[in-house]
Amino acid sequence: MFLALKEIKRAKVRFGLLMSAIGLLVFLILTQQALQDGLLTGFVGAIERQSAPVVVYSVDGQRTLQGSIVTPDLQQTIEGVDGVAAAGRIGQGTFTATIDGGDQIDVAIIGYDDPDLGAPDRLSAGRLPKTDAEAVGSSVDFSVGDEVAVVPPDSGTDPVTLTVVGLADDAQIQVTPTLFTPWAGYEAAVRASNPDATAVLPNAIGVRPKAGVTDQELVVRINDASGEADALTRQQAADEAPGVAQVRQSFQVIFLLYGLVVPLVTGLFFLIITFQKSASLTLLRAIGARSSTLVRSLLIQVFIVMGGGILIGVLLYAPLSQVELGAIALRFNLGAVVFWSSLLLALGLLSALASARRVLAIDPIEATVGGGGR
Amino acid sequence: MKLAWRELVRRPGRFAVAGVILTLIAILLMFLGGLLDGLIASSTGGLRAQQGDRIVYSDTSKDSLTRSRIEPDVRAEVEKAVGEGDVGGLGSVQLGARLPDRGPRDLVPVVLFGYELAPKGLPADPPASGTVYADTSLQAEGITKGMVLKLGPARTEVTVVGFTSDTQYSGQGTLWGSLDTWRTVVDANRPDAAVGDEVVQALVVRDAASAPATSAAIDEATGGATHTLTIDEAINALPGVAQQQATFNQIIGVTVVIAIVVVALFFALLTVERIGLYGVLKAIGASSRSLFAGVVLQAVVVTLTAAALGASAALVLDAVIPAGAIPFVALPARLISSVVYLLVAAVVGCAFSLRRVLKVDPAAAIGGSQ
Repeated sequence: MFLALKEIKRAKVRFGLLMSAIGLLVFLILTQQALQDGLLTGFVGAIERQSAPVVVYSVDGQRTLQGSIVTPDLQQTIEGVDGVAAAGRIGQGTFTATIDGGDQIDVAIIGYDDPDLGAPDRLSAGRLPKTDAEAVGSSVDFSVGDEVAVVPPDSGTDPVTLTVVGLADDAQIQVTPTLFTPWAGYEAAVRASNPDATAVLPNAIGVRPKAGVTDQELVVRINDASGEADALTRQQAADEAPGVAQVRQSFQVIFLLYGLVVPLVTGLFFLIITFQKSASLTLLRAIGARSSTLVRSLLIQVFIVMGGGILIGVLLYAPLSQVELGAIALRFNLGAVVFWSSLLLALGLLSALASARRVLAIDPIEATVGGGGR
Repeated sequence: MKLAWRELVRRPGRFAVAGVILTLIAILLMFLGGLLDGLIASSTGGLRAQQGDRIVYSDTSKDSLTRSRIEPDVRAEVEKAVGEGDVGGLGSVQLGARLPDRGPRDLVPVVLFGYELAPKGLPADPPASGTVYADTSLQAEGITKGMVLKLGPARTEVTVVGFTSDTQYSGQGTLWGSLDTWRTVVDANRPDAAVGDEVVQALVVRDAASAPATSAAIDEATGGATHTLTIDEAINALPGVAQQQATFNQIIGVTVVIAIVVVALFFALLTVERIGLYGVLKAIGASSRSLFAGVVLQAVVVTLTAAALGASAALVLDAVIPAGAIPFVALPARLISSVVYLLVAAVVGCAFSLRRVLKVDPAAAIGGSQ
């Protein structure tokens, strides 16, 4: 312990550089983990947060809410499937809007027939809408009491205004500020933004199964009933939305590469250090120091360097995880910190095995002939 | 220099681990860059292909094509303002396309554009109603010339009469037809997005050869009913493009800093190991400059090797990643800029060893100790 700390004190720059490199790598890994989580929540949070246990798109929608259009015939078919307890329209569009008369912003509006089939499943503040002119907003973008006006293309037309009466966490869609409002409010917004609209059809149908029928069973029944229907459980609808898998895959490749760099840098550093001081280590062995003592000293250094690097990384990540990158809200993820810290620490210690092997292979007799390295 | 080169040639194993780490960092840099380029390319092609100078959106659209609506009277004002320049309507709609002989649930997501001014790679006049040109990326989905595609829930038929390249939009392959084709498809499939006969989503403006109207002049002429952007501004205004670029560039920047630290660390350690040798070399007349040049040479060679391996890996990735999976593209400019970043990192990293090389005392070497 004494030797390990003394050496770190005497070679502050070397150990400091390594600690900084590991700190930066940990910071990058944690930041990208937060970015991935924020991006996915921003993409499909509203799908996960809405209350319908089964969501039925049209096959044409390719599993995107805004891209799907459910025709009246298809809606009727879905409602008639055995096992459907209740069904309600869900619509979604992106609009230009202002909050309390401020700058124009993009707003996604989700309309629903039945609060239990499309409204947020839980609120972080306020209440669900009681009128068509009220809405629940994504909590990172709105406050209770906000007046959101959907801007019509023609300045002579009155805007449709929705008052935010409740907030829901993690409830964005398409990384856009999102409002949930009763169907009539949504329809008014669509007609205000496009006076040429000939009809406002639902983008999906939210469905609840009868008692005794599971969500998955109902999904199968609906898909069997119509080749035009694409029924999914709520979780499937979020996980299988276009782009979600690609985002996950891309980040996994990035994590893998960063995860490989950390133990390699650590392993290389300690291997060279061990090689450089092999003469001193041989001498220590010759005067009675045990191999286990020297290996322990090495592992303590690895632990200190990795621990310091992880601490630097987490300290850099903590303030960044409180900010919003564009419309993506980052969040401090303790689980990710614990997971990556444990994994990188374990990999770092593993990477020191080559150096430990070299220490164990030192022959004290070499001290008498002036050698040391092997 | 010669000595440094010989060490590299005769003891390459010494540099192997550093080389592996730098190779991983090179792959990371090129993968991150390729991912950014792929994302941008697949979401902006429809606008990059425009052979115009400006795009005119309606003022309340927030520069979103799907939310923009240009009425005929506004178009007339724009045409007056543009003078001898050209003005063409543009419209888009995202739908699923059904291909013959494919399962009823096996659709291809496409964006159908209606246009008047031909984008790059398309004939001057839009194809006849009901016919379209397709982006070459759709060939990977099995779309061929002459194929009849059924678009949307209404199964509106369009026939592919040819192909154009690099026009992907919103991460999807595109179809290019006349405004008439676009209106027919929208009316049949998206009643909520239907538009009147002369209404378009946006206007593409090709500036007059002399005294072209500025974006501000066009917007002034329409009394503020429009928001006009240059093509580059319109590309940057696409949702997520600017944010993606900023985020990825920051990550790439930090990765370059890590490369600098790794090179600094590795060559600082190597320099410490060679202090005795440097003392002897200085004692027999070698200058600090030549010794440091040797260190830089080694760093550059190791980095170049790592960068070459990284670039090869990026090219292999580009070739093997299936269409529609990760949006990765290995562009020569990206690979070259990554190599340059790494070389700069190598030289900057080496500079950390300069002080130590300068401090080497030849007298200590003669005395046999450091």
